Amino acid sequence: MSDTPVLDDRDKKERYETLVDAFYQDVYRYAYWLCKNGALAEDLVQETFLRAWRSLDSLQNDKAAKAWLFTILRRENARLYERYRPDLVDIDDQSIADLDENEPDQRLDRRMLHEAIATLEKDYREPLLLQVIGGFSGKEIAEILNLNNNTVMTRLFRARGKLKSIFIPGGHADENIDDADLEN
Amino acid sequence: MDDLEFRKRALANPHDSDEDFVAATGSTPERMRLVQDIQALDKRIVEMVSAVTVPADLATRLKSRQPRVSRPVKSVWSSYYAMAASLVIAVGVILSIGLQSANPSAADLQLHDDALRHVYREEPRYERAVNDLSWQQINAVIAEAGVHLRDNERIKTMHIKFANGCRLASGTGAHIVLEGTKGSVSVLIVHSSPVKTRFDVNDPRFAGKIIPFGEGNLIIVGEKEEPLETYEALLTDAFEWAI
Repeated sequence: MSDTPVLDDRDKKERYETLVDAFYQDVYRYAYWLCKNGALAEDLVQETFLRAWRSLDSLQNDKAAKAWLFTILRRENARLYERYRPDLVDIDDQSIADLDENEPDQRLDRRMLHEAIATLEKDYREPLLLQVIGGFSGKEIAEILNLNNNTVMTRLFRARGKLKSIFIPGGHADENIDDADLEN
Repeated sequence: MDDLEFRKRALANPHDSDEDFVAATGSTPERMRLVQDIQALDKRIVEMVSAVTVPADLATRLKSRQPRVSRPVKSVWSSYYAMAASLVIAVGVILSIGLQSANPSAADLQLHDDALRHVYREEPRYERAVNDLSWQQINAVIAEAGVHLRDNERIKTMHIKFANGCRLASGTGAHIVLEGTKGSVSVLIVHSSPVKTRFDVNDPRFAGKIIPFGEGNLIIVGEKEEPLETYEALLTDAFEWAI
């Protein structure tokens, strides 16, 4: 018999539904930016929560639930979709809500930001999304991505540095700084 | 806190509330302005990533725990064809239906993996090659693989430095390497069943495309950022099967 207490069905269902309510929106948004496609993101989220349900007993601490779900999602993305990505270079714009931006300049600016985030290298995009969508700390991101904290901070620096060079022209050329200098 | 450390922390987390970072931010107007700029940019990033519309009934479906039903994914190419369909409805409808379900098959993915393995294996050889091959040398090699390169002035301006026959698990063909703008660009033309739909190479280092081409496939692999479309346009025009 397992040492882990097995929840009865009612408790398990309640616990699961609490997780869904608390995290499904963030998990979906992260999935969307990971695979850049609404339909794929939906499939990915369904698969993620299905796996979470099956292994809910292994989640010892509900405070770690969000990081646990994001980890499952990344693993499912790698298993199902990341190995190949047939033509998924386009961004499914229809999944992005219109903000109150009526000026052409604002819409153009927003479109540029959308593309800039979507086309960031995966190594930079992932930690940035984990930080801004998931609200994770550097240490938590390091655990989810299986990296050390310094590398995560360097990648966050690079991610924002690239966006900064597009949207805040001029100033310091951060891209010229070596990774080795950053990680010291 | 030195300037490098400060910039690293400001860009890695502009909302860092640690005492030393807050003190460093207030130490000069430039640092203050940098943090304010990055925080303003961050606000726009958060607005953008949060603007993704979550499907209305997703929570209900997740709670019902039904296994997912995979749906065909609309690809960039099917989007283009869908646009054409609005102009030429009779033809376009047939095209878009055909393409919406066209994802790479297991054999297509095998070709993808074989091609990449081949490129990695050949890399030490082609990277040693520095001199351009003559048109005759290139054609002599690729002719043995059943491929012919049409006489084309634009192709002749390319720096082709390597040409060899290649045998992948899925077929035989030719591998030529030319000097691109970011490094070497491998072009493989392989006599194997054409892939169901063109798709991108997925590799940590290389970018590339696998394109159904007549009786086989054209595979173009180069460094990320290499403008592969340019080569594709030239090569699809220049290559032909001789077998």
